[in-house]
Amino acid sequence: MKLKVPKTERKRSSDSRLKRIVKGALITLLVIVLLGLAGTHLLALITGNALLAEPENQVSRVVTPIQTGFSSVVDWVVDYLYKLKLRSRIELEYNNLKQENEQLIYDAMLVEELQHKLSVYENLYDEISANESMNPLVATVIGRESGNYFSVFTINKGLNDGVEDYMAVTMDGALVGYTYNVTATKATVRTIIDSEASIAGLISSSRDQGTIRGTLGVDGTALCRMYYLPEDNLPRPGDLVVTSGVGMSFPKGIPIGTVRESTRGMESNKQFVVVEPQADFQHIEYVIVLRYQPEAEAVEERSSSNDSLAITPLDPAQPVPTIQIGNDFFQLAPTPEPTPEPTPVVTIGADGVEIVITPAPTDDTSISYEYQIPSGAATDNSYGFTLPPTATPSPTPPPLDLSVEED
Amino acid sequence: MLGKLLKVSILTLLSYLLQVTVAPLIAIGGVAPNIALALVAVITVCMGRKYTFMMSLSIGYLLEIMLPALDYINLILYPVCAMLGALVFSDKSERKLEEERAQGKRGRQWNAHLRTPMCAALSMLVFEGVNMMYTYLSGVTMDAAHWGRAIFDVVYSTLICAVLQFPIRWWMGTYKLRKAR
Repeated sequence: MKLKVPKTERKRSSDSRLKRIVKGALITLLVIVLLGLAGTHLLALITGNALLAEPENQVSRVVTPIQTGFSSVVDWVVDYLYKLKLRSRIELEYNNLKQENEQLIYDAMLVEELQHKLSVYENLYDEISANESMNPLVATVIGRESGNYFSVFTINKGLNDGVEDYMAVTMDGALVGYTYNVTATKATVRTIIDSEASIAGLISSSRDQGTIRGTLGVDGTALCRMYYLPEDNLPRPGDLVVTSGVGMSFPKGIPIGTVRESTRGMESNKQFVVVEPQADFQHIEYVIVLRYQPEAEAVEERSSSNDSLAITPLDPAQPVPTIQIGNDFFQLAPTPEPTPEPTPVVTIGADGVEIVITPAPTDDTSISYEYQIPSGAATDNSYGFTLPPTATPSPTPPPLDLSVEED
Repeated sequence: MLGKLLKVSILTLLSYLLQVTVAPLIAIGGVAPNIALALVAVITVCMGRKYTFMMSLSIGYLLEIMLPALDYINLILYPVCAMLGALVFSDKSERKLEEERAQGKRGRQWNAHLRTPMCAALSMLVFEGVNMMYTYLSGVTMDAAHWGRAIFDVVYSTLICAVLQFPIRWWMGTYKLRKAR
């Protein structure tokens, strides 16, 4: 029995055979071509015949542009990758530099802070050295309550350190306030700009005494007012106001501030003089507590001197010149009389030579308890009292011409 | 059929271009891999000896005429190395496997993904061996640096072959064939 193969199967079989033949022929052809090219190349190398080198030249002519294009693509990719790498490195370097810069800024700030501290310590040292007799004590501000009406702060020294109530607190050679509510380890300081503060002061030039009170609770400004001044004197702007040493256990002569306005006499409702404090109340970090106590001898002397009370006749009444500015009258302060110079004493020595001995003038400061402004306080860039720009001392007034013009 | 031939032709050209442009750029320690032989090894395992011979001869010829460093060496060495690898690691025909089974041998072959890098390693070993011999015969004393560079080149090219075999086999349709079976 003969099996009959379907027509479609026969066709498929013949198709695949044909494909195989074509494929084999094609591959064979390709191999022959390749071998032919290789052979001509070898022959060209051996014989040096230029004609035999023509096929490879043709192939080279075809391959060269392809290779150039591919090479440029590869170069572009490599360049792109290189840029990416470079960018990442730059970013890394940038981050490192940024971090380094931040560290340097931090170091610079630290150095600046240390320099500031050193400057403060130097100032404090100068001030303490100049006022050793006041038993000064450096304290650090550990708390602050600065509102619209009150200005107090807390320091880290208390009864254990010898701090008592109503001791003067200074900073940069100027009065800051006084202590109160002192406990064993801390004390509260009421500043002079606080409305509750009341300190006896005097105007340095005229020696007029009054009472300094803060204005923070009055009109919200960080200034002081000086009340109870004698009415016959007109303080000039820029006049220095210092402590008078009356009342609390304050040393005498601590600078408080300068007279800012002196219109008391011109306006009848103004019964005070505005004083601009010298201390910088916005930047208080370290202060000096003057644990000053008045010596008991002086008190004893005063109390025991009752036995020898002597009546001193008053100076004869002298007319005080009065000037009129507008509708107001002002009395000029009497000019303090100069201390008479000591009379020289002539002594004849044993050898007959005249010796003139002039007694030294009495040094009042050697026995006073006045606050000593440190020597470095006069410089602009250090502490101490330097007049603020607004408080320019007025020039010396010209002598008054009191002559009466003839009609 | 023509598609397969076209793909092999494109791969041949690509192998040559990669060898002359990319290989120097990815050199490690001055040792550039032989990408061309690595790709030839892939074709050896997945396509067979005929295509291997065509591809290696084409690459050798192109290298010979475009980069004539040494006369004859590329033209001869590439086909020789590729065919040696094909002799050992190319797919065996069913008839051959049946013959082996009849002789009591194992009658099966290793995984193609394992044979491909091994084929590349063998080709590269022969290639580096011939090159070193040529260098030695030229009067250069062989030292550890030569051996080290040669071994590193073999390992580097084998690794590249092991990596590139997957996309090339996928592109050539080898995985589709296996699925169809």
